[in-house]
Amino acid sequence: MTVRVDAAVTAMTGPAAPPRRNGELVFDAPWQGRAFGVAVGLVQRLGLEWKAFQQHLIAEIAAHPAAPYYDCWVAALERLAIESCAATAAELETVRQAVQAQSARR
Amino acid sequence: MSAHDDDHHHPAPLSPVEVRVRALEELLTEKGLIQEGFIDAVVSAYEKDIGPMNGARVVARAWVDPAYKARLLADGTAAIAELGFGGPEGEHIVVVENTPAVHNVVVCTLCSCYPWPVLGLPPNWYKSPPYRARIVREPRVLLREMGVDLPENVEIRVWDSSAEIRYMVLPERPAGIDGKSEAELAALVTRDAMIGTARL
Repeated sequence: MTVRVDAAVTAMTGPAAPPRRNGELVFDAPWQGRAFGVAVGLVQRLGLEWKAFQQHLIAEIAAHPAAPYYDCWVAALERLAIESCAATAAELETVRQAVQAQSARR
Repeated sequence: MSAHDDDHHHPAPLSPVEVRVRALEELLTEKGLIQEGFIDAVVSAYEKDIGPMNGARVVARAWVDPAYKARLLADGTAAIAELGFGGPEGEHIVVVENTPAVHNVVVCTLCSCYPWPVLGLPPNWYKSPPYRARIVREPRVLLREMGVDLPENVEIRVWDSSAEIRYMVLPERPAGIDGKSEAELAALVTRDAMIGTARL
């Protein structure tokens, strides 16, 4: 599967720049990589500019300066998904509850 | 393997943020907005994104365009930016040219500073203490061990990268490759050649 690398993603600077260690993108946990991938995939699939996501990310970081970077990323992604009508808040909540219930059963 | 498979081996309950990510992924996949396997492909592409290919394109351009090469050697960062590459940890890139008389090799003796916008991830050996020490102390011996046997009359210059200045080697253009396109030339350029631990 080919993935088009969007220079706008890697060129983000300032507080919105993803954490890196010696140049490498750093995902401290697998879910961070998944969240990264979902954002890139959604933007690409919807034919949006990366800016559309980045604006939400910047806003989330500004609103929650003490929150971990990828927590803000996930919140921005939820906003983008809803704003672009890819999902509704209610749908997300339903799936979250299902995932939560599944996780608790294990 | 997907994250879902992993969980069978680590059945820890998901944290709230993990639940949110999982829900996004499941919902968008169900709606056909995210393809199966796509996320793994994205992560892997971006981990290697700013990979050696960027540097290879810079080298190929310098080989075919003497004016570009002159700009590249005069101001690496600016010439590299002409091709659309740059950003954090590539703010000040100096390009050093290999010639029949001079072979350049790059190290970071302090840690592992590396021009990632053009070379991507540093290889593990680049970060290893033996490489960092020996390439300074006995570059000719170490290069020979790494497969670069330089004649005694070739001067070896070792460049120590830092947070401020990151070096990249412009390898010599191999002989007998006239008529190749710039893209074909870029495919010949290896990461190690741009560090100086290989020749083309």
